[in-house]
Amino acid sequence: MKKYHMLGLFSNFDEAFTAISDIRHYKVPGVSVDDVTLISPIEHPEIEEVLGERTSHVPKFTLMGALFGSTAGFIFLAAAQANFTVQPQGGKPVIAIPSNIVLSYEMLIMAAVLCTVTGFLLGARLLRRRKSLYSENVGVDQVGIEMEVEEKYLEPLKELFREHKVLEIREEVAK
Amino acid sequence: MSLKNILEDWSKYRKGREEGGFHEYEHMWGMAIDLDKCTGCNACSVACYAENNLAFVGKERMGKGQGMHWLRLERYWDEPDLGESTVSDYQYHGASFVPTMCQQCNAATCEPVCPVAATYHTPDGLNAQVYNRCIGSRYCSNNCPYRLRYFNFYSYYEEAWPAPLNMQLNPDLSVRDKGVMEKCTFCIQRIRTGKDAASREGRQVRDGDIQTACAQSCPTKAISFGDLLKMYDPSSKVADSKTAGLWRKHQVQLGKTKQNKQTADLRGYRILEGLNTDPCVMYLERVRDV
Amino acid sequence: MPTRDIDEDIKWAQINKDVLRSMENPRMGYWIAIAVSLTLLSFAVGAEIYQYNVGMGPSNLNWPHMWDLYIATFIFWIGMSHSGTLLSAILHIIQADWRKPIYRFAEAMTTFTLMTAGLFPVIHLGRLWNMYWVLPYFSDRGIWPNFRSPLVWDAFAISTYLTSSALFLFIGMIPDLSICRDNTRGWRKKLYTVLSLGWRGDDRQWRNFRKTYMLMACFLIPLAVSVHSIVSADFAMSIMPGWHVTTFPPYFVAGALYSGCAAIITLFILLRYFFRFEQYMTMPILDKTCKLTFAIAMVWTYLNLIEFSSIWYGHDEVGKELLLAKFNGPYSPYFWAMLFLGSVMPFTLAFEKIRNNIPALFVISLLLNVGMWLERWMIVTPTLSLSYHPFAFDVMWPSWVQWFIVLGSFGWFGLLFLVFVKIVPSVSMYEVKEMIFHRRHLANKDIASVMHRRATDDGSMATETPGN
Repeated sequence: MKKYHMLGLFSNFDEAFTAISDIRHYKVPGVSVDDVTLISPIEHPEIEEVLGERTSHVPKFTLMGALFGSTAGFIFLAAAQANFTVQPQGGKPVIAIPSNIVLSYEMLIMAAVLCTVTGFLLGARLLRRRKSLYSENVGVDQVGIEMEVEEKYLEPLKELFREHKVLEIREEVAK
Repeated sequence: MSLKNILEDWSKYRKGREEGGFHEYEHMWGMAIDLDKCTGCNACSVACYAENNLAFVGKERMGKGQGMHWLRLERYWDEPDLGESTVSDYQYHGASFVPTMCQQCNAATCEPVCPVAATYHTPDGLNAQVYNRCIGSRYCSNNCPYRLRYFNFYSYYEEAWPAPLNMQLNPDLSVRDKGVMEKCTFCIQRIRTGKDAASREGRQVRDGDIQTACAQSCPTKAISFGDLLKMYDPSSKVADSKTAGLWRKHQVQLGKTKQNKQTADLRGYRILEGLNTDPCVMYLERVRDV
Repeated sequence: MPTRDIDEDIKWAQINKDVLRSMENPRMGYWIAIAVSLTLLSFAVGAEIYQYNVGMGPSNLNWPHMWDLYIATFIFWIGMSHSGTLLSAILHIIQADWRKPIYRFAEAMTTFTLMTAGLFPVIHLGRLWNMYWVLPYFSDRGIWPNFRSPLVWDAFAISTYLTSSALFLFIGMIPDLSICRDNTRGWRKKLYTVLSLGWRGDDRQWRNFRKTYMLMACFLIPLAVSVHSIVSADFAMSIMPGWHVTTFPPYFVAGALYSGCAAIITLFILLRYFFRFEQYMTMPILDKTCKLTFAIAMVWTYLNLIEFSSIWYGHDEVGKELLLAKFNGPYSPYFWAMLFLGSVMPFTLAFEKIRNNIPALFVISLLLNVGMWLERWMIVTPTLSLSYHPFAFDVMWPSWVQWFIVLGSFGWFGLLFLVFVKIVPSVSMYEVKEMIFHRRHLANKDIASVMHRRATDDGSMATETPGN
């Protein structure tokens, strides 16, 4: 069976919300809410009530970056200082803990921020070619529901969307 | 850059000055300057200019404060404690002269603030300035409480020694370009020569082998230069010096911020030692006729 | 006088239109502004070339005044960057949504002031061509910078802050850049296609975006505090009287927030006027910003008083003499001007009539920043003129070289900001939409009840009457 991508555009978030809620409650048998993607001009954390819990892995990247930055930073500094003992002293030790703590803190934040950005780019699947099924109206105020379904579910879904006052439906064959 | 370095030497590098620090000192060069003998003649300052390739900056720039006098004679005119109502031109009443040069502090405040490690403490107990490494951030000069560090605001050498004056330059050390800090080094080129001569002959440096330019040229012998290491570390094998003898006589000790003396006649003091800089220069206060 | 921060009935299409219109081909006024910035910048470049060739002498720097306007202006610019972070990050975490129309240009101000500030540690060096020695890199002679020096901490902290701020600004812009991509043609479309990184607005992207933005905001706040504390350590870690003061880190951070908020008011008024953003950068938001500035000004005043009183009550004679010299000595006119502009002037912001008067606010915000610049100068110079050693007492005034470079830095900042407002939307479109969405839904209970049902509720929504 051929798979289709389908995008239904609604005039505001509430209608899209109710449409997804219907899908969740199996108004179209065989279609699961896990196939649904919401496309919106602003963020809608409340959609997870009907879309189901979906996780984001960005905090793991942040934690990893912070731990790496602080420990690698401190070790790097201590190693550089131990290697370069001719460093000026002024009565202070060569491996000075207060200075190293300040610098390790900065490196913690730098590494955490860079890893967070990396996690974002990976998790959001950016830097890839955009799917062609996209409407510029999403950037203005319309909310889209995008689904990847088999052909036999196309018509029932279109019916459901029309019940919820869909403005436009686009479809294309999935490659 | 090795793990071995880090693991073996961690505790050694963690020691502060009070625990002996990182250095094993070979010498600790110091001075004792008798302000009673000092007449303010400025011969020491001139000798320093000659010995260390210090540039003449000219009247205008000196007036703006951009001079390069590593050893400066400070003149203080009035002494309110004496109860004098008039100030005078002569040292007999009123004027005091203090020859000030880099105090080679053991806990130098200039050292930890240089961003590129251009100033450090040598095993000779000197505070060394590495001209090649200096990028001219001038933090060290700002952090010196004695304000004894000078900066090359221009390429002074371009105008200071028109031929044939350039023949007078001392070949033992460099002429500094613009943008670097410099200060008194206790004539490190002479120290180096003295130490090399001693090691060639297989002996320790003797007291009197090395004389700084200022000590050599002082007509009243007010400046005394010598090795203080025996005071710092009595078990060391270096020769004791007259300078160290003067320090002991006036009961001035290294490593203290306030000296305990038995009588008030003992004239020795260190400038601003309460800031915990531990300078290696001791001044003997002028005897007053009050 | 409208009381709502924003009109909740604005159509979202209108938001797009208004903001995108600000990025159209510029008219004459814009080119004049660019010309002025370039002129100022050329002064600085000329002065710097002269200084590079001749040495630091022409700037009137001398012994003992080894630091002067370059360091003061450096701290001024870094300070100005903090309130962009305040608005973007702190107000985001506490969900103060009135920040939404104005944080974009504030965050841009942060990034550009950091780029301007980063020039000064290089300019003030005697041998600036070697400035990379401050960075830690593997050299075959095993030479490293001195990590104990606060100037090296500065290098680390400022590069971290600049990277993080720039990334924060860029990441926050991605949804807007996708709107720009959809609404432009030609070279602009190619530029925004690349910059928006393929943003579609699907829920996966928004979910990750939300988390990322919040995490970066959480890191940016301690970073901002630590960066200016480290910059204050340039002074606080030294031994000089007037500098070796433990209140310097909070004092500098408070001064930073203060000058940044004043700069936000200035830029707010300029952008609102020139791009006709009256519906978004509304008077109630300006009102809140002025109140915030006033509050921070009072914190700054308090920290000043604390510093004065602790020196006065302590037995530090050198510190006391320096403090009295600041009030009575050669630099006292500037010191008194700083106190007036920094502590007395902000009281004008306590009056509602003045907070509604835009020309007055423009002048006041500029004067507040002049006061803060004077504060930085009065930190650097009096201490150097009156340090521990009497022989080194000296009065020095900066020369034309220093003034040209300082003024030129304003030209550089102006140039960066002017280019920014034409390339990138200076009002965040998606955040304004979010602001309107949430306020509309908070007000309208019918929609709210439909919105916030549980996922476990029984279906049959289409027949449910609202309000049940």
